[in-house]
Amino acid sequence: MDDASIKKTGAANKKPIFAEDERINPVTGFFIEITLLTKFAFRFIRESFRAPHEFREFIRQCYLVGYRSFPLIAITGFIMGLVLTIQSRPTLARFGAESWLPAMVAVSIIREIGPVISALIFAGKVGSSIGAELASMKVTEQIDAMEVSGTNPFKYLVVTRIGAATLMLPVLAIVADAISLYGAYVGVNIKGDVNFTLFIIKSFESLEFSDVLPAVIKTFFFGFAIALLACYKGYNADKGTEGVAHSANSSVVLGSLAIFLLDMIAVQITDLLF
Amino acid sequence: MKKEGGHTIKLGLFVTLSIALFTGAIFIIGERQQLFSKTFQISGMFSDISGLQVGNNVRFAGIDVGVVENIYQISDSVVKVDMLINENARKFIKKNATAMIGSDGLMGSKLVLISPGAPGKSVISNNDYLATAKAVDMDEILLKLKITSDNAASITGNLSEIMINIKDGKGAIGKLLMDSTFALTVEQALINIKQGAGGFKENMDAAGHNILLRGFFKKKKDKNKK
Repeated sequence: MDDASIKKTGAANKKPIFAEDERINPVTGFFIEITLLTKFAFRFIRESFRAPHEFREFIRQCYLVGYRSFPLIAITGFIMGLVLTIQSRPTLARFGAESWLPAMVAVSIIREIGPVISALIFAGKVGSSIGAELASMKVTEQIDAMEVSGTNPFKYLVVTRIGAATLMLPVLAIVADAISLYGAYVGVNIKGDVNFTLFIIKSFESLEFSDVLPAVIKTFFFGFAIALLACYKGYNADKGTEGVAHSANSSVVLGSLAIFLLDMIAVQITDLLF
Repeated sequence: MKKEGGHTIKLGLFVTLSIALFTGAIFIIGERQQLFSKTFQISGMFSDISGLQVGNNVRFAGIDVGVVENIYQISDSVVKVDMLINENARKFIKKNATAMIGSDGLMGSKLVLISPGAPGKSVISNNDYLATAKAVDMDEILLKLKITSDNAASITGNLSEIMINIKDGKGAIGKLLMDSTFALTVEQALINIKQGAGGFKENMDAAGHNILLRGFFKKKKDKNKK
């Protein structure tokens, strides 16, 4: 492997400087980590636009991270809708506003609960899977082997996974919202009798574009952040099997944290714009 | 390869379902906000819009027929409200219909209520202005309610004072009801009056038979007969 290919494929990635490293101040280590992560993100953007594209692998990843996550997110979404409705009913009933239950639950689900819960489940399932998979490939030198065989591992492993996660999380969040609303419908009908058409009309009564569009847009960023962090942690893993466990763990923890940080920023921006 | 094809079909179905759900949601919300239906615009000038916002409903005969499109403050006491009304409702809204600001229940959001105009008038046109009526202000109602309750409190206070005085035997009614001596005196007075009235009647009967007064009583009797 010549120097140029090493530079191009990133095989000569420097050993990541973790905050736990005794020689580095944790604060300094944090900022170094941020810099490396930013460089990793820019490399992803650069590689995404550079041909050839790994389209088949991208579709396979979409199937794995999107379709295969659907059952888990669907069950979670249904339960969230059901539970939220049952929990909210007594409070609304106290004010004689039970008829507002579908509208209130719909706004909560569409604006916040659907996207955030889907993203957290996604971070747990997909983030850990990507982190562990790439880390094990790294520590067993499969990534190096790919470089030697002339394949661009960053493009094949990272670009496809981040792209798939970025596109699939919004899809999952929309389906989760719909299933959550169905859960809410079941919840409303446990102690009442509301037909489905009326439930849908009442649910959409308080919804506006400013509720739906920002909620969907932010899930693109959630998906991107989850996969970016997981790929970064996995791609830069070391210390053998311990490094694999650490990467999987960090991917979930940092992914979940990133979701809340991005959500806070998204709420502020939505509040300013709408 | 066959397995990969199956995966692609499943993924395609999944993405299509998601896009269909998203489009459905957008369509339902858009329909409610009159984005996909044929509409016309009318306006109204209000002195106070009581917190009405762009996107609030416009209701006619209890049916949501449109939305508030724009709100402009024209001067310190005039606010212009533009409303987008569904074309289907145009034939029912007459030129002399009036608009007022209302609310959707006690806790609900504000809305514009259009009351139908007099029958026989022509229907409203695009960009017409509706006459407006002052909204029933909750603060005003509460203020009136407060005055009424203050008055009620004052009345019940006075009534309570009166009842206490009566109970204590103070005043004419109190003495009449609570003072037993006074009651006996009144009773005795009534007996005396009754006895006096009986004596007076006897005297008058005797006077009617007196030769000097017989003519007077006879004339009086004849006058009564007439």
